[in-house]
Amino acid sequence: MSGIKRRDFLKVLGLTGASTGLVGCAQEPAKKLIPYLVQPEEVIPGIPNWYASVCRECPAGCGVHVKVREGRPIKVEGNPDHPLNAGRLCARGQAALQGLYDPDRISGPLRRVEGTGEFEPTTWEEAEALLAARIRGLRQTGQAERLYLISDGAVSSLDALFDDWMDAVGSQNRVIHESLDVEPLREANRLTFGQAEIPRYDLDRAELILSFGAGFLETWISPVQYTRLFARSQSFRDGRKGRFVHMSPRLSLTGSNADEWVPARPASAMLLALALTRVLVAEGRAGGRAAVLRPLVEPFTPERVAEATGVEPERIERLAREFADAPASLALPPGVEMTDRNATATHVAVNLLNYAAGNIGRTVRFGPNVVRRRSADLARWTDVVEAMRSGAVDMLLVHGSDPVHTLPPNLGFAAALEDVGLLVSFASYVNETAARADLILPDHTPLESWGDHVPEVGVHTLMQPTSNPLFDSKHTGELLFSLAARIGGNMGAQFLWPDYRGYLRDAWRPVQREFASRESFDDFWHAAVSRGGVWRDVGTQPVTLNRAVAGVEFDEPALEGDAAARFALIAYPSPTLYDGRGANRSWLQELPDPVTKLVWSCWIEIHPEVAQQLDVRTGDVLAVSSPQGRLEAPAYVYQGIRADCVAIPRGQCHAHYGRWARDRGVNPLALLPAAADESSGSFAWLSTQVALAKTGQRVRLVEVQGSDEDRGREIAEVISLTAAIEAERHAREEIERHPEARVEAVEDADPKSPYRWGMAIDLSSCIGCSACVAACYAENNVPVVGEERCAQGREMAWLRVERYYEHVVVEAGQGGVQAEHGEWEGLHVVHIPMMCQHCGNAPCEPVCPVYATYHNPEGLNVQVYNRCVGTRYCSNNCPYKARRFEWFDYEHPFPLNLQLNPDVTVREKGVMEKCTFCVQRIVKARNDANAEGRDVADGEVTPACAQTCPAEAIVFGNLRDPHSRVSRLARSGRAYHVLGELNTRPAVTYLREVARVTEEI
Amino acid sequence: MATVAPPVETPFAKVNRDIIGALWEPDWRYRILILALLAVLGWAGFAWIYQIKTGMGTAGITHPVMWGVYITNFVFWVGIAHSGTLISAILYLLRSGWRTTINRAAEAMTIFAVMTAGLFPLIHLGRVWYFYFLAPYPNQRMLWPNFRSPLIWDFFAISTYFTISLLFWYSGLIPDLASVRDRMKGLRGRMARIKETIYGALSLGWQGTDSQWKNYRRAYLYMAAIATPLVLSVHSVVSWDFAMAITPGWHSTIFAPYFVAGAIFSGIAMVITLSVPFRWALGLEDYITEYHYDNMAKLLLLTSLIVGYAYVAEYFMAWYSGDPIEWESFRWRAVGAYSGPFFIMVTCNVLIPLLCFSRRIRRNIKAVFVISVFVNVGMWYERFVIIVTSLAHEYAPGAWGLYKPTWVELSITVGSFAWFLLWFMLFAKLLPAISITEVKESIAEGVWSPGDKKEEA
Repeated sequence: MSGIKRRDFLKVLGLTGASTGLVGCAQEPAKKLIPYLVQPEEVIPGIPNWYASVCRECPAGCGVHVKVREGRPIKVEGNPDHPLNAGRLCARGQAALQGLYDPDRISGPLRRVEGTGEFEPTTWEEAEALLAARIRGLRQTGQAERLYLISDGAVSSLDALFDDWMDAVGSQNRVIHESLDVEPLREANRLTFGQAEIPRYDLDRAELILSFGAGFLETWISPVQYTRLFARSQSFRDGRKGRFVHMSPRLSLTGSNADEWVPARPASAMLLALALTRVLVAEGRAGGRAAVLRPLVEPFTPERVAEATGVEPERIERLAREFADAPASLALPPGVEMTDRNATATHVAVNLLNYAAGNIGRTVRFGPNVVRRRSADLARWTDVVEAMRSGAVDMLLVHGSDPVHTLPPNLGFAAALEDVGLLVSFASYVNETAARADLILPDHTPLESWGDHVPEVGVHTLMQPTSNPLFDSKHTGELLFSLAARIGGNMGAQFLWPDYRGYLRDAWRPVQREFASRESFDDFWHAAVSRGGVWRDVGTQPVTLNRAVAGVEFDEPALEGDAAARFALIAYPSPTLYDGRGANRSWLQELPDPVTKLVWSCWIEIHPEVAQQLDVRTGDVLAVSSPQGRLEAPAYVYQGIRADCVAIPRGQCHAHYGRWARDRGVNPLALLPAAADESSGSFAWLSTQVALAKTGQRVRLVEVQGSDEDRGREIAEVISLTAAIEAERHAREEIERHPEARVEAVEDADPKSPYRWGMAIDLSSCIGCSACVAACYAENNVPVVGEERCAQGREMAWLRVERYYEHVVVEAGQGGVQAEHGEWEGLHVVHIPMMCQHCGNAPCEPVCPVYATYHNPEGLNVQVYNRCVGTRYCSNNCPYKARRFEWFDYEHPFPLNLQLNPDVTVREKGVMEKCTFCVQRIVKARNDANAEGRDVADGEVTPACAQTCPAEAIVFGNLRDPHSRVSRLARSGRAYHVLGELNTRPAVTYLREVARVTEEI
Repeated sequence: MATVAPPVETPFAKVNRDIIGALWEPDWRYRILILALLAVLGWAGFAWIYQIKTGMGTAGITHPVMWGVYITNFVFWVGIAHSGTLISAILYLLRSGWRTTINRAAEAMTIFAVMTAGLFPLIHLGRVWYFYFLAPYPNQRMLWPNFRSPLIWDFFAISTYFTISLLFWYSGLIPDLASVRDRMKGLRGRMARIKETIYGALSLGWQGTDSQWKNYRRAYLYMAAIATPLVLSVHSVVSWDFAMAITPGWHSTIFAPYFVAGAIFSGIAMVITLSVPFRWALGLEDYITEYHYDNMAKLLLLTSLIVGYAYVAEYFMAWYSGDPIEWESFRWRAVGAYSGPFFIMVTCNVLIPLLCFSRRIRRNIKAVFVISVFVNVGMWYERFVIIVTSLAHEYAPGAWGLYKPTWVELSITVGSFAWFLLWFMLFAKLLPAISITEVKESIAEGVWSPGDKKEEA
């Protein structure tokens, strides 16, 4: 045979093989899975363990369940039993995992290299010896008072330990720092009712909520709890809907859910509240309470305050009447960002309004109070800074807070740190304070720690470690024990616990006596740990009006700053980044701000008229100056702010704090004087006026939303309460007539399948907080792409919350509301979560040349990543634009990769992906049901978005079951499909937003 | 560098000498041009490899504009591919004598344009290494492509068109290849023998006998008849890539005729653009004359009017439909972020070609050349406008976004021109660029002869 020789054949084979291999280079090499050699107890591969704990991302202290797979926490969900959040969680809570897995976490104790800004690793042994020696030295020379400790305001066993330990050392210098404190509220309650407490607000019972600006759905006190309660009264249920009036100069995320926005002048809430009270008193609507109130509010006629508040007297009178006539009403004070120099007096005024309407004891209840330690006031801080400057602080320990970032720079705290002998930080990340420390002794993150927390009277919650410590960190409690032993003397014998868990158990013995004195402690303990704590109902405590209230002076509001500076500066806490502590969580940075839809940035909100006067557009850099400072930031033109105000979010502007936080945005606190509310001493965040100037520069502001208006396309629909009631009545009759009737979308699945999965989203419940988006990132391994790629439109969010401005037209006498162009009575904001609609007649499916996207037998529109070649035709043909393309191979820098959900299919670059309705959860539920020989029950499958939604706006289930919640909602009178006229037959049903406009009262 | 004297000084001999004479060894300018084209092509190849390696994100396409310059190029090149078959097949069937001098080059252009166009669906694939998923090949998993998808129709339409065009072109070449072979017989040297063998093999033993001619004529006629419907079908199918989608701005029944007219329009323009330097470089001024440009300019004008009508009709239908989404899409097309490309499109495709109403301009080769260049630019922008503006401004206002091409896309776009020109350059030196047979026939039939200005035509 003269043809191909064996050698040649092999050569050809080798060459072909090599070239095939080269082509294959584009793919990730496969990695091997190695089974356990010795299987750890309680770990079954593929089966998650759930541990109860507490979310410590903000002081609210929601209960969480942490899903742990093969030893790695991969998802945080609300603890359904918890009295505060009842299984729900906000975006920041979802991002707690990124605190655990922050790639810039401190991996062990660090010591500053003398005279430089650099740190070098040290050992715990060495660091503790150094600290102990120094403290011993202080104690021997009788200078123990020169030791200071700054910590957060949470009431916990650790807090008690700090107290005991500092006592033992001999120092009284504990400084409690909670940057978003509500001390004016507490002080006002002391003045008004003799109760220096933060009461329970029963938003769920309030028919009319009148807010003076508190961001209670975003950052104020306990946002998840408040959202849950708010949605109960303010969403449309059973033919009823409460009414929410937002009286504040800026339309915050909270305000964007209002039925009516009263854009009152900044720092005018006090006058407004007093005038409202006066109307109640004058019109005899305050009942027997009028007598005591009359002398207090007599001077504040609506006419007199009209000028100062910017609200017409008639409107004040109308609102007052509404407030009094509502079956249950509730006035909420201005929030943290509206704390002015009169804050306490303002809160007193709001108390008087609630009192006049008889709300105290009904919707404002003392008894189940929020538990917080008193945060240090300005005077205390001034003393501390003075002491630091004069060299009276030899050692400063900082735990759980970042005062350099969260105190107004004009206080001089950061500069005074220079004169502190030894600055010790217990931070897990190099935050602004830790970056200046001499020694960083990293604490475990909350998900690695034992601990507890008392968020409310009668609620004691427990934290347990959900993972071994990832790095060489040490529980600060244990560090204190160890230091005590080293210091010796009286301290040596006082702190003899072997570890923090032992201490915690001892600290919980009184709790056991309170809750279960007859049980053995071990039984109690195990039950408490697995449940996440113990709680009981606390009764309402009756309060009476305090005489001291007569002494409160209601001065006219005043803001600092020269006359030329005519814009009041509102420095509000970011709904996503909080006071800045969320800035190192990439999910939170990439989560669009719920109001502006900007990501990874910082901006100045200005009114369109101001923008016109200054000739600026969104993105033009403005110079903002106050007597205290000057900064430059891009403008964001926002119709939800008064023309005499500007607003800048807090939270950005870190020089350190990891790769994602670093060098982003500005800190509005730099413009503020170190001013305080006169009565409570709390920082006055709304205290200055600023001047604006155009700089001529332009920067890119990354906004993920295209248009702010839905242009009459009926994507986000709003109807009036009357119309909603009518529609609901019709729908109910229809259901009664045909109880087994099913919605059209039911047909779009295999006839033999018992399931057609569907979803219902109630827009009247949705508040736009975007917790669902963060939950989706966490559950589905959605990659974070960064600012640059977001700017190109390549964010990967499977679920986005679109925010549309609707111009509400009130038709006289009809009470009808229509979203239209042209004249409008007010700005109405609709938030609409948008994801793959799993259409029955999906436009994406026929155009895919390779069947990579198709309809599965259960009605899901599924994407087969392995089959996808990436023509992207499906995305072009998707009217909802719900599909995302893998433009690159995305990275999850170590240890973030440990967070990835192993149940979710890996996507390679070049394929299309989208919302799957959390198909992994569906599969699990179906498998469980099949194993038990039954069908999946209603409520058994909950996608991540629906699971976390604090407003319970998202309901998922089987449309083929006519009795499932989702089926009932899909037949609601408010039900509609987005772009339904395209005959896509979506599986997602939206329920129209209901606006309860003035006319309907 | 014709080293061999022509046999006898007859018009036929002149034809042989001129056309085959163009095939001799290229000069330094040609070589430099080839090198330059190879360099551009290399750079584009690098850009493509970089894109495959790093991800589609290196291109500017993004959410919601998932198709951009690549698909623009694809449609543009498919459009270019149209005039070849039109000139060859349809004008052949219509017995338009003036086609004889340009049909060969136009057909070659068709083939090279399809070869260029065919690259873009691959270049734009997210996972090009699985391109074969698009082909219906037997496989163990019994997975077939989705025959409902217009992209699969595309795959068949274009491969059919390519096959037929190639065969048609080749069959037209056979007698000419035999002439070249015969010419090589008179030469000495090793190269001449090799060439003789190759051209001999390619001419399939053509002897010019009566029976050969008879069968050949018949075969050519049938092929022209088969190719004719393809002119209409291919671009119709390409237009359905858009028309079958529900995207406002795409979803329209006018797309098939609109695209076919546009394709012929752009194809004719490309023939003009290429033939002007080509006739000059190969010294074929006597063969491609004002007469031909006059005719081509008329065709250009006709198709321009059809395209202009389609533009107006689209707007009329968007308005008349009363669909606010459709209307908004078209309104934004003219006044939105991409109004620049829109006005380039209208100016180049509708306004400038109106100059061809003037006989003086039609007969001025330079003027026709300039107009044709404008039309090429305009037609590229037309596809850009249709694809990008429609996607950027779709149903969900919250998801509106913009697109800007990156260096990778621009490099590959420029590279596609280099790729196309490279093939064309090779064609000009390797094959008779004008149909010797048909020119001779024209002379014999007295329709037209070289150097004849044919004023009265």
